[in-house]
Amino acid sequence: MLENLETIMFYSLVMASTLSMLLYWIWIGSKKEIVGRIATYLTILALLANTAAIILRMIISGHAPLSNGYEFILTFVWGIMAVYLFAEIRNKLRSLGAFVMPIPVLLLMFIIMGMGPEERIAQAIPPALKSQWLTFHVVTAMLAYGAFAISFGIGIMYLLKWGKEDEGKSNSKGIVARFPALDVLDDLSYKVIGFAFPLLTLCIITGAIWANYAWGTYWSWDPKETWSLITWIIYAAYLHARLMYGWKGKRAAWMAIFGFAAVLFTFFGVNYLLPGLHSYA
Amino acid sequence: MAENSKGWSDQLWSVFSSMKTGLALLGIVAFVSGIGTLIPQIEQDSEKAQAVGQLWQAMGFTHLYSTVWFRLLLGLLCINLIVCSLQRFHGIYKRTFKLTPPSSLAQVPQKNKVVVQGQFAPLRESVQEVLRQKGYRFTLSDQSDSWSFIAIKRRMGNWGSLITHLSFVVLLMGALLGSILGFKGYFMEGAGNTLPIQAIQVSKGTVSETFSVRINSAEDRFLANGERDNWYTDLSILENGQEVIRNTLSVNHPFVYKGITFYQASFAKGAHFTVDRNGQKTPVVLRENGQNYFQAPGTDLYLITTTLMGSSTSQKAGAFYQVYKGTGVQPVQSGQLTNGQTIDVQGTYQLTFDGATGFTGLQVKKDPGVTLIWLGCTLLMAGLLLAFYWQPEVISGIFQAENGRQGKLTVGALSGKVTDNTRKALEQFVSSITK
Ligand code: HEM
Repeated sequence: MLENLETIMFYSLVMASTLSMLLYWIWIGSKKEIVGRIATYLTILALLANTAAIILRMIISGHAPLSNGYEFILTFVWGIMAVYLFAEIRNKLRSLGAFVMPIPVLLLMFIIMGMGPEERIAQAIPPALKSQWLTFHVVTAMLAYGAFAISFGIGIMYLLKWGKEDEGKSNSKGIVARFPALDVLDDLSYKVIGFAFPLLTLCIITGAIWANYAWGTYWSWDPKETWSLITWIIYAAYLHARLMYGWKGKRAAWMAIFGFAAVLFTFFGVNYLLPGLHSYA
Repeated sequence: MAENSKGWSDQLWSVFSSMKTGLALLGIVAFVSGIGTLIPQIEQDSEKAQAVGQLWQAMGFTHLYSTVWFRLLLGLLCINLIVCSLQRFHGIYKRTFKLTPPSSLAQVPQKNKVVVQGQFAPLRESVQEVLRQKGYRFTLSDQSDSWSFIAIKRRMGNWGSLITHLSFVVLLMGALLGSILGFKGYFMEGAGNTLPIQAIQVSKGTVSETFSVRINSAEDRFLANGERDNWYTDLSILENGQEVIRNTLSVNHPFVYKGITFYQASFAKGAHFTVDRNGQKTPVVLRENGQNYFQAPGTDLYLITTTLMGSSTSQKAGAFYQVYKGTGVQPVQSGQLTNGQTIDVQGTYQLTFDGATGFTGLQVKKDPGVTLIWLGCTLLMAGLLLAFYWQPEVISGIFQAENGRQGKLTVGALSGKVTDNTRKALEQFVSSITK
């Protein structure tokens, strides 16, 4: 019964987010206000369905949603959409949706295409995962990764707009004309990363505290840990380069894109590409 | 010569006080760490690591994170951070606590600047009033035909990056302390047995403590729904044979004694036997799958147990056993025992199966650096929160009279990290004083 409801919520999430992505695309080309508004509502709907799916999953399994890849992606998608909606509404920046929404949609497609039903069901968790610290660990990861996804979207927008302006068509009627000014995008990207960097740090620290409780080592250089450290260093480099050498604009946009690639690699690559451990995530 | 060496130390200082060096070092650390995830590491996969070429092993690629040169890299980063912090300390201190109002127009921040017309005294009043209302700390300075002010809000935010950098040094100190003074080990022991702490398998450091650990019980508990609850170990610490403390631990609930922490790490099934040799009885605990053996004293008979049925709490436990002789590959005797059953082993001793039992696998760790690690983490978070969520705002201005009491006030805001915020703060300030 609850399982069915969860499945319904999952597919509502998939449909709402896919539709909203398409509508953001249409909106950006057509400028029809109503289309844009519906896109935003659909994103809100997708977030609600996502929240419901996560809560139902927690009720079914009796623990935080972190026993398998399916649950991790569900929380990742939640983080992206939550931070995105906040950014859109606060900055009246609807065009960002066209670049951010494909990320959760692709992640959800990965679940649908790449995971069999047996990989999606709620599983018992080993004793080591029964810890409050782990919940903090996941919540901070979700928000930080969500925010990094947003800065990735902004980075893409920046480069697109920059490319067009470089061709001397800054007053053209193309879609990029609807984007905010370059320095607004750049500032926003920095704000989002400045918000996320302390969260990523907190994520790594709570992970260390939990590992210390469970295994007696706060840091063991396993590939997942190491890659989260590398991601952290990339963003630290972004902050320093910006502050001291005034690396703004194009270079900063590339670094935001590069940083998110490292996030994705930490999330997926380590599990699927590297020979190794981290049996849990 | 002296000249030369001064030049050297100056050069060294300037290398270490440069953020370029710092960023380069961070980049190298990231790169090297990445390589370590592609090559199997001894700590994680010792079998595969040993299959890596000898030369690579010798250069430390299979235990990258504990090599001298990786540590050297971290040490250099540490020096870099300390030098940078020393150099920046005074400046930050002045920017936070010793702000002086501008004495000329040129000292007003030029990037974000607004000019306001007004009267000498009323405008001064109004500036003071607004600054107080908005929670700025400020200093006013009066001259005969001009006055100026400087105001700051959230001034502690200035310390954010310094605290962040020093926290990294604290973290590295903690890690160093742990690797010098700590140890790490493991043991697996059956319920009922006692083990001197020095007898554990140590993978790092040395154990100097002398107490013993007695495993009172080891259990693999399940919840009503069939899921595993947790592994539980009830253990006692013995000093000179006397029990001094008794505690139950489980995964995620470690137990600490004299700075040494015991972590539940694994669990295995085992069996209790009694060996009766000419009336002399010895208790024997054996682990499943032949993980350990019993050699009857003065013989070359080795007893192991292969498979166990039932748990320590059930009465219907059963054990498969095998007896080997010398270096023989085939068992000379084997069979199954039920609870309480006694058999004869090669005419040498009587073997009784007393029931199933648990073997607990415990990680044992002493890490005196861990306090510093948590201190470093706290500082790191505090520093980052200050740097990103508590950014200072500095506004300063100078009023210059032009004809009599009439004049203009030039106000500027020091560029913060987000230009947008700086501009807004200035706009708000100006609109408040001209209201
Ligand atoms: C260990 C990794 C490091 C971390 C986590 C770190 C973190 C930070 C943070 C958060 C800021 C503030 C940035 C901002 O507000 O946008 C900062 C600024 C700065 N960092 Fe680092 N840093 C690290 C390493 C270094 C190194 C190796 C150096 C070079 C010696 C360095 C030099 C500086 C300098 C000079 C600033 C400018 C501060 C200012 O003007 O406000 N950092 N760092």
